[in-house]
Amino acid sequence: MTDHRASIKANLESGAVQAAMQDARLLLQQQPSLINFKFMRQLVDQLPPGAPGLKPYKVALISSFSIEFIHDSLIAYGFVNGLRVDIYQPGFGQINQAMLDPGSALYAFAPDVTILAIEGEDWLPEIYTSFMDADATATDLGAVVARFRQQLAALVTSFRAATSSPLLVHNLAQPRLRRAGISDWRLPNGQASMVADLNHAIAEVLADVVDVHMVDYAALVSQFGVKNWYDSRMRLYAKAPIANGMLGNLALEYMKYFRALGGLTKKCLVLDLDNTLWGGVVGEDGVEGIQLGANYPGSAFVEFQRVVLDLYRRGVILAIASKNNPADVDAVFNNHKFMLLRKEYFAELQIHWEPKSESLKRIAKQLSIGLEHMVFADDNPAECEQVRRELPMLSVIHLPSRPELYADALSAEGLFDTLALSDEDRRRGQLYQQRAQAQTMLSASGNLEDYYRDLAMELTIARVDQTSLARAAQLTQKTNQFNLTTIRYSEAELAKRMADPDWIAITVSVRDRFGDNGIVGVMMARADADGLDIDTFLLSCRVIGRAVESAMLAHLCDAAQARGLTKLYGKVIPTDKNVPSRDLFDKHGFSKQSEDAHGMTSWALDLTCNPVRLPDWFKLPG
Amino acid sequence: MSKNVEQTIKDLMSVVLNLNAAKIDDRTSVDNTPGWDSANQINLILALEEEFSISFDVSEFELMVSFKEIVKAVKAKI
Repeated sequence: MTDHRASIKANLESGAVQAAMQDARLLLQQQPSLINFKFMRQLVDQLPPGAPGLKPYKVALISSFSIEFIHDSLIAYGFVNGLRVDIYQPGFGQINQAMLDPGSALYAFAPDVTILAIEGEDWLPEIYTSFMDADATATDLGAVVARFRQQLAALVTSFRAATSSPLLVHNLAQPRLRRAGISDWRLPNGQASMVADLNHAIAEVLADVVDVHMVDYAALVSQFGVKNWYDSRMRLYAKAPIANGMLGNLALEYMKYFRALGGLTKKCLVLDLDNTLWGGVVGEDGVEGIQLGANYPGSAFVEFQRVVLDLYRRGVILAIASKNNPADVDAVFNNHKFMLLRKEYFAELQIHWEPKSESLKRIAKQLSIGLEHMVFADDNPAECEQVRRELPMLSVIHLPSRPELYADALSAEGLFDTLALSDEDRRRGQLYQQRAQAQTMLSASGNLEDYYRDLAMELTIARVDQTSLARAAQLTQKTNQFNLTTIRYSEAELAKRMADPDWIAITVSVRDRFGDNGIVGVMMARADADGLDIDTFLLSCRVIGRAVESAMLAHLCDAAQARGLTKLYGKVIPTDKNVPSRDLFDKHGFSKQSEDAHGMTSWALDLTCNPVRLPDWFKLPG
Repeated sequence: MSKNVEQTIKDLMSVVLNLNAAKIDDRTSVDNTPGWDSANQINLILALEEEFSISFDVSEFELMVSFKEIVKAVKAKI
């Protein structure tokens, strides 16, 4: 532990922020204690403003109880995730003052995210505390739910009117004790059923407002158990009901949202094989000898594969990095009846004897995914350490010694969690298979134009509307490589652009002979005096290298001319990741207007002499 | 335990109260330590509970206001 602490300090002093983040992750995994959270907080506090490698992140905590004891763990885990968390918190019980008044200090703080944390006891004493005082027929308790729904809706709508930043709202944990004892279930409005009704109301209210998300506090509390979660001593003495040892778990739950909101969600899971997907070593034990099946320990590996399969179905890209003979691995995929994971679910297989870090680099390159969006899971501590050292930007999950703990180890941090599951997410596995087929075709056809023609691409270019808003915002948050300005939009901010007549906000979908890729591009531009000024221009890495960007520019030229404008303006803001998009304007005949000290370039195209034309291999339906 | 109790307590106090561990002695108390406010008093007690796997009564919280008293309270429980 002291080693990790010393190494975090040393890495921070030498500017190796990613390595320090890795060490901090290990420290907090091994000992998530108050003292380590405080230690991390003090380190973060000492960093100069604008320290590289950390994104400033303003969190507002609005609560019905005293929640300040969570600050240290939020800052510590924020650091592990590359965020420099800055917290604003009004006194507890200031929910209405903070959220209803558009001039409140909450809105002046301009939070990147706001959390509304509520305990039923504080807000709904009729149900949590004085429940037995109510009339047994309990018609008045039904009215409590209706009133609660109205209050919550008022808070959420006022919040949305005052700011377009995201809001997280807790649902309600079950009461610590049943006031009516074992007969609660017989009451027409028992405590258990009332809380279920309230939680249903919360989900309904939140679903109606853009970029408001529910924290399933009820599930979190039940996962750890009410007796562990709360500390009655601290509840009564300091109005701080959550036990010290549980605050870190709540902070970790918030991190899932911070990552998803900040475009830090992991996209690709790379797995080892022997003693990871099955027990034993296939090269020595043979297909029949490995542990995978109905009985322990084989059943534990089946359970782990089920969790991996769930991730695949949620749109996580799977890959393999294993030191093995490919023929042995094929034999397991082809012949083992308990393999839930099929070979075709894996977008890339690196099966050889070279270092795992090398395999991971190749997978990143093949799939055009940044290493910082990849997770590597292996049972072997030496392999994990090798990858951590060589590739500090990647998240490593060292699987525990017992296979029944694998599934939890993979799910615990929610590294792959997204705020919503889109159709694109659900089909991503197939999409990557199509992509591999298309790449094989490129190497076969030799000539690029022939390849484009062979792909038989159909483009659908459409205004962003309610059905595409979530996906369009998601793309602005997640796309790094082909992204000229890397401006991130929340759904609420994008909705504003969508409604503004001076702006156009457009999605691009691509279908090819291998299938439908769904929405893969977003463009946003604002009309000014003589031209259309491009604010956002991005393309999913799935379709980079197919000249889709030329078709998109052609569309913008048409859109500008339809408005009677004669120019197209754009700028390129360079980042570590967007090298593939930087020459877009140069390649399409724009002339460079200026370049600033940070390398940002501005470009213009005169539409009266050389507009971009739609390449003739694209088909536009309708 | 590899470190003695006094040293472990000094290390915890140094992190929670942002002090130099070497300067903590029997005279260090709420009265002469600016960072030792009521929130950090609670943090300190929770950190001691975590470190030594012990638990304090609320009635003990208000007695543990100097290094000397804290050592006494912890030693009574381990």
